[in-house]
Amino acid sequence: MAIVNRFLDKFMLLDLFAGLGITFKNMWKKKVTVQYPEERWEPAHRFRGMFRLDEDRCIKCTLCARDCPIDIVYIDWHQELNPATEKKVKVLDRFDIDVQRCMFCGLCEEACPTDPKSIWLTTKTYELATYERWTNLYVDMDELQEWHTRPDYTDREVL
Amino acid sequence: MLQALTESPVFEYVLVPAIKISLLLFAGVLPLITYLVLAERKILGFIQVRLGPNRVGPWGLLQPIADVMKLMVKEDILPERAIKWAFILAPCLVVGPAFVIFAVIPFGPPAAEAGSSFNWFVTDINVGVLFVVAMATIGVYGLLLGGWASNSKFSLLGGLRSAAQMISYEVPQGFAIVGPLILAESMSMVDIVEAQRTAGYWFIFPQFLAFFIYAVAGVAESNRNPFDLPEAESELVAGFHTEYSGMRFALFFLGEYANMIVISAVAVTLFLGGWLRPFPNVEALAFLDFGFLNSPGLVGLLWFSLKIFVFLFVYIWFRGTFPRYRFDQLMDLGWKWLIPLSLFNVFMTGLVKILR
Repeated sequence: MAIVNRFLDKFMLLDLFAGLGITFKNMWKKKVTVQYPEERWEPAHRFRGMFRLDEDRCIKCTLCARDCPIDIVYIDWHQELNPATEKKVKVLDRFDIDVQRCMFCGLCEEACPTDPKSIWLTTKTYELATYERWTNLYVDMDELQEWHTRPDYTDREVL
Repeated sequence: MLQALTESPVFEYVLVPAIKISLLLFAGVLPLITYLVLAERKILGFIQVRLGPNRVGPWGLLQPIADVMKLMVKEDILPERAIKWAFILAPCLVVGPAFVIFAVIPFGPPAAEAGSSFNWFVTDINVGVLFVVAMATIGVYGLLLGGWASNSKFSLLGGLRSAAQMISYEVPQGFAIVGPLILAESMSMVDIVEAQRTAGYWFIFPQFLAFFIYAVAGVAESNRNPFDLPEAESELVAGFHTEYSGMRFALFFLGEYANMIVISAVAVTLFLGGWLRPFPNVEALAFLDFGFLNSPGLVGLLWFSLKIFVFLFVYIWFRGTFPRYRFDQLMDLGWKWLIPLSLFNVFMTGLVKILR
């Protein structure tokens, strides 16, 4: 039997025909291509995308800025007297991230002591391509909070 | 005036062939080649569960035009240390013979059978098959010359590989062709097709072994996967055309695809009954002749192109399926299997012919 099988393999090229069969079947399968600008891929639940910041949750501890390995998080704050509660509160003057150099390591998110986190990366935004790096990839506090409402770069006029 | 013109030998021997050749090349072969490239990319895409090119025009149908435009306007680089005349000659040597072969391929029936005033092919010479083999051989010089003249080690290796491969595979291919020649007792391409009509069967049935050998050797002859060692992009960058760019590269490309079509056409003529419908003598299948079209020539052309397309599809299918052979495996297959098998086939065919 083994001899017969070897003969068939060698002379009838059965394995080659099996391969042809597989490719022929593949030809009719549903294609996996996502046609990007028209169709968009829905990222997984745990996908790490662009930052979001929640200013109300933030306690201005600056731990995220300290933990950032390339120091691209810039935070300035001052103290103010809240007239209603008669207590001093910290108010953010500036919370900028220079996204150009960010490697999305997520250490800022890990460092954040609040629960839930006040800065986090599990947004679904991954389309970060822009035409001007300094104006569009250096994001301030307001932009960080509303990143997902930013217009699509393909919608903007070129030049 | 017109009467005098149509009766003069100039009309018969110069004008008509010129019109036929230009029609064949510019309305037939060249568009076919450009769209073959698109079909190949599409089918390869489908095999790999992708979509293939689909951005330029609907279903990517304008892609070939865009490709040709791009290749035409690209810079034509001539390497400084290249041997200039050989570098320029090489692509022409690949394309020219491939196109010349189309002259003897019978795309449709001759005038008498088609009921038209002209033959549905350019010419029919009595050593047609020999002419095809001889012309196909010249293409090798183009590859070798291109590889050598580029003054690049990748090109040289590609050229050497192509020389070795072509020489090894021309022998079984030649022997495989002998089988149908013995059956048809003629070397004229038209006579071979007519012999298949008289015999009542395509020559693939008595000559299946020869057909198989011809097909394998044909894939190797046209440098296609799985025998694309001369240009093996994962080993030799691009093989013999590493240094070529722009239109000269396009000529090599054109030559490769023209060779594919030529080999399919010769296989169809020798083994698959040329312009004949399947089982040409079975009356029950007469509706396949599409009598209502009232144009046997056109129907013949239709059948011929249909068979060619099947053959070309199989070529592309092979490319999507098989990995490249190693060089020694390639030589093994050629010398240890195909040549003895084809010799055996010639011997058996001759024996049967004598005994009958």
